[in-house]
Amino acid sequence: MSNEQLLALLPFMVLAGASIVVILMIAARLSHTAIQVAGFLMLCFTVLAMGYVRDILPQEILPLFIIDGFAALYTGVIIFSVGVVGLLSYIYFEEREENPKEYYILLFLATLGAAVLTISRHFVSLFLGLEILSVSLYALIAYLRNRNNAIESGLKYLILAALTSAFLLLGMALFYMETGSMEFNAIGQKLAGSDPGVLFKLGLALMVVAIGFKLALVPFHLWAADVYQGAPAPVTAFIATASKVGVFAVLMRFSLAVNLQQSEFLLNVFSGIAIASMILGNILALRQQNIKRLLAYSSIAHLGYLIVAFLPGTREGIEASVFYLFAYAITILSAFGIVTILSTRMKDAEDLSVYRGLFWRKPLLAAVLAVSLFSLAGIPLTAGFFAKFIVLLTGANYNLWLPVIVLVLTSVIGLYYYLRIISTLFASAPAAEPRHKPLHPFFHFVTYATLFVLMVMICVLGVFPGPAIEGIRQFLMIR
Amino acid sequence: MNVSDILFYFLSALAIGSAILVVISRSPIYSVLWLIVTFFAISGHYIMMNAQFLGIVNLIVYAGAIMVLFLFVIMLINLNTDAKPQKGKWLRLAGTVAGGCLLLVLVAALKNTEVKGMGVQVGTGDIGLINQLGKALFTEYVVPFEISSILFLSAMVGAVVIGKK
Amino acid sequence: MLRRSLASLGMTNTSSRHPEPSEASVRDRRRIKERIMENYLYLIPALPLAGFLILSLLGKNLSKNLIPVIGAGSVIGSAIAVILLAIQYDPENPVRQILWQWFSSEDLSVAISLSVDALTIVFLFVITFVGALIHIYSAAFMREDRDYARFFASMNLFICSMLLLVMADNLVLLYLGWEGVGLCSYLLIGFWYEKPENSRAANKAFTITRIGDTAMLIGLFMLFQEFRTLYIPDILNNVSQHFESGSATLTTIALLLVGGAVGKSAQLPLQSWLPDAMAGPSPVSALIHAATMVTAGVYLIARMHGIFVLSPEAMAIVAIIGAITLIIAGCSALVQTDIKRILAYSTISQIGYMFLALGVGAWSAAIFHFFTHAFFKALLFLAAGAIIESLHHEHSIFKMGGLRKKMPLIFYTFLAGAASLAALPFITSGFFSKEQILGYSFGAVNGNPILWVVGITGAFITAIYTTRLMVVVFWGEEKTHVSHLPGPAMTLPLVVLAILSIAVGFIEWPHNLMHVAVFSDYVQNVLPATVERENIAPPLVLQGIAIFMTLFGIYVGYMNCYRKPIWKANNYQTPLFQSLRNFWFKGWLFDDLYNNVFVKPFLFITTVNRKDIIDKIYTGISNGASQLHRMFSVSQNGSLRWYIGGVLAGILIIVTIQMIV
Repeated sequence: MSNEQLLALLPFMVLAGASIVVILMIAARLSHTAIQVAGFLMLCFTVLAMGYVRDILPQEILPLFIIDGFAALYTGVIIFSVGVVGLLSYIYFEEREENPKEYYILLFLATLGAAVLTISRHFVSLFLGLEILSVSLYALIAYLRNRNNAIESGLKYLILAALTSAFLLLGMALFYMETGSMEFNAIGQKLAGSDPGVLFKLGLALMVVAIGFKLALVPFHLWAADVYQGAPAPVTAFIATASKVGVFAVLMRFSLAVNLQQSEFLLNVFSGIAIASMILGNILALRQQNIKRLLAYSSIAHLGYLIVAFLPGTREGIEASVFYLFAYAITILSAFGIVTILSTRMKDAEDLSVYRGLFWRKPLLAAVLAVSLFSLAGIPLTAGFFAKFIVLLTGANYNLWLPVIVLVLTSVIGLYYYLRIISTLFASAPAAEPRHKPLHPFFHFVTYATLFVLMVMICVLGVFPGPAIEGIRQFLMIR
Repeated sequence: MNVSDILFYFLSALAIGSAILVVISRSPIYSVLWLIVTFFAISGHYIMMNAQFLGIVNLIVYAGAIMVLFLFVIMLINLNTDAKPQKGKWLRLAGTVAGGCLLLVLVAALKNTEVKGMGVQVGTGDIGLINQLGKALFTEYVVPFEISSILFLSAMVGAVVIGKK
Repeated sequence: MLRRSLASLGMTNTSSRHPEPSEASVRDRRRIKERIMENYLYLIPALPLAGFLILSLLGKNLSKNLIPVIGAGSVIGSAIAVILLAIQYDPENPVRQILWQWFSSEDLSVAISLSVDALTIVFLFVITFVGALIHIYSAAFMREDRDYARFFASMNLFICSMLLLVMADNLVLLYLGWEGVGLCSYLLIGFWYEKPENSRAANKAFTITRIGDTAMLIGLFMLFQEFRTLYIPDILNNVSQHFESGSATLTTIALLLVGGAVGKSAQLPLQSWLPDAMAGPSPVSALIHAATMVTAGVYLIARMHGIFVLSPEAMAIVAIIGAITLIIAGCSALVQTDIKRILAYSTISQIGYMFLALGVGAWSAAIFHFFTHAFFKALLFLAAGAIIESLHHEHSIFKMGGLRKKMPLIFYTFLAGAASLAALPFITSGFFSKEQILGYSFGAVNGNPILWVVGITGAFITAIYTTRLMVVVFWGEEKTHVSHLPGPAMTLPLVVLAILSIAVGFIEWPHNLMHVAVFSDYVQNVLPATVERENIAPPLVLQGIAIFMTLFGIYVGYMNCYRKPIWKANNYQTPLFQSLRNFWFKGWLFDDLYNNVFVKPFLFITTVNRKDIIDKIYTGISNGASQLHRMFSVSQNGSLRWYIGGVLAGILIIVTIQMIV
């Protein structure tokens, strides 16, 4: 392994190192605040490292990894999401006073797992990344084990993830049987020219199970609502963003390598999944009263939209999907940020009644939530609108009419439940509750500032998406 | 049909049969014991493929360490008959039908496949030998090897977090 | 740029004629003049707009003394600006100021730009000057009202919109002003919204004018489709190259524009809203529903004259609309008892004269009549308002009476206005303007004797009802006690307007009597000259007949309403007379007609479709969606076995499909 290859792995090493740093700090009995600050600094280092290695990209580390612009983009979205999740976590866990420190180790490890997925080009690294992500998530979901649903949802996730991982392994074995290789490009070369055999198709069908499970696509979506509800709000934000970005990245890379989209059958399977996800996600969210569950269903629908951008398998599709994921990450992070900040020590702010008349009590928070919901609904002048728009455009360019039409129609259905929450925000306020003094004014300020920045980003991306698109294009050139 | 073939079919039948028994046994202790039998059968396959190291490691780690752990855990939480989950008849039927369907479909899908000259050569090959394995792990696959250590780290931390009082 | 080059062209001409003296100084003077005018052009609408903004945002917090200062002051300010502009105005150089680009799409680019030419100046002068007087009047008239600030805010917004309407040089901006005045009209008719009939009147006015507005909007779309621009000078310059005379498309466009005009100007068949619009305060009636807004239709037709000149059919229709309206409204005015409704019908009738003039191609005569009418009708409404206020809000003329002695100032000013309305020969402005219209309705190329006869009959009727109004209100015995006399803030505008309603007529004499034609000379650069026919009856004869008819009308009115009141005569009670009276009183039953033809069938349809068949589809969708939601929610039962079952089912489906395909 050459120096440059080693250097290219630097951001990932920093991430892994971050967890070790946190472990050592816990051993040294340092305070939560110190760990939070150190964790934030480590994330900054990761970003700096990414910037530092940018010039030597792309680097291939045969046979397992490739670090190119594609990976950098998805890793960037993951790191960004984790940064926001980390900032939101402090107040949430500090108020609970339940050993919040190990949380950061797991968070960094899960991030590393998701990041490894983005650079994988081999089944081994795919599986390792996926497992690191999953194993960390089991513990993260069940982290607040004294709460009713925590252990239950952690266990559900564990069992279902194990089940789907088994299918993933079987699928990989079938691939190996067919092609004698576990590397994406080699598989692609073996398959090129010949009609994909039964083993390939079956293997892929089994892999779809695992990927669909992680992305919470229909029909592997059933866990999403329970786990979103049971997990602590920042962890839910992590599941909704970082974990999905990583898995989607590896799906995209794999499908590009083996020319997945050439196969009529697989195209149909994926469009079927996308259509089912869009319809079911939106319909399940329709009258949901629990905002965490509602966001879970909405994320099912949104991943369905994203698959529409995945279907063509072209450069435009990649661009659209990266932009979509970025916009979606910002949006869902700000929504979960509100949930986090409104949560009390006893209970997460998941019931819709908590949000009744929020605007009259906390106008800034209500505005952030409203903007993020507008963005989720795809109202113009928000990032969500533009993201949905370019996905739509990509789909229409490749004559994927059925998914595109379903996308439009289900967006209309989706509007209903987003607007329902927004109208709740502006409903007449109940009696003002006594204001308790924030425990940590500085971190409260930081959290508010983060949310405000997210809101501004949603608006800016919705109004001037040009520079972002241009940046994505330039990164994708690095290959 | 030589000895290797007979051994292969025997081990395969043993593995599948004991795996089925793991699932259908009423007592968890029996399940664990049948699982150990399964691992033995799989180790036998490894040895037949000239991967003695892997076979032994499989025995030591799974049949030895993990299964003993399982047994202790089951004995410690002392599952008696009352605590056993009451599965309904219909549920069992549905599970059987679903599993059977899956089996049927997978078999139907795979029955027509021809393996493109990549059949396992019983008794040959050297990848399972300790020398080769070590070389592969520490040269070509060094990064995933390191990363898998991180996987264990995360599992450990997770277990500590969930388990500690 | 264009204007610059035009100016330099003009300058070259001047310099060639006068080579020696002061080429540079002429240029400088022009440039300075141009720049000054350009610089304050935007102030004219901006001042009332600022007044509106201040009053509507801070209205509740301002003191009662400050509100009229802002409300009336802004309009007075823009009146001063208009007068300065008029003094500096050079007919050779219409002024244009582009404020900013409003929007710009593929080939429609619309600028917020203001242009001023002679026609605009006439309108600007009336809007701001009469507007300022009415604002001063209102400062006293509305003082006791709870919503003093809201009143002035709406009035200022109205002035601003009306100014935009006449200063706009593209039809989009014009339409903005057009809708703006409609909105203000709605707000001000329903100003006392607590009485349901006022709100109803406001709704009626808004709805009926919307019909015309819609026609006009379609006309604008067609114009854009034909010319690919909505910049008025471009349209007018190109229309003769684009279309032949009498083209069907052009006639359609012209008629659609007329549709807008009749809606706003309360002409047949959309006239029925104006009498009800009198529900608003009297200053509103004076400003909006007599002097300015209702003449917007006249302005529109005059502004787009290039289109109408090429479409004789449309011209004829305009003339016929005007002729019929003036008779119908005049007859209705004969039998009304509410003083403001009499004036409202007379307004409709007088605008009918303007339409008649436009229709026969007497452009400047129409605008001149608008000019004089604005003064005397505003005067009449303001005086009527003063009377009504002094008599405890009594509207019926038969409960007034004998006010000649009690309110002498009101009497004399009202007399001046009424004389002008009745076109008393040689001493009133109404005479000069109406005489011109009557003359042209006979003598212009498009005119004919029938139109003239209708016009003369209208003049006769006008004289009758004006006399009736005068004698019933001011002579006879006092029937209601006069509580107080209006103060100086109310009487001053009345006096100014009275002087103007007498005096402005003298700037334009019948051309066979005296060669004074200040007004038509002023607008001659903008509006085409009226073409007269050859070999017609000598104008003196026609004028003689017109004067005779007016005087005869006054006599008839005097005899039947004062000496032997007709409503006391025996044959007045006969069914024939009563039904005719009723028919006229209700405005020729147009309201009932529309009610039966449009409203009732519509109500019938809505009753039949009470459950809304179209809506069923949407409720069906939403019900279906919630049904589905309930169905699928069952799948989220929290049971892990079930979830695993779901995963297995997914695998089964995918693998099975894979096998089948």
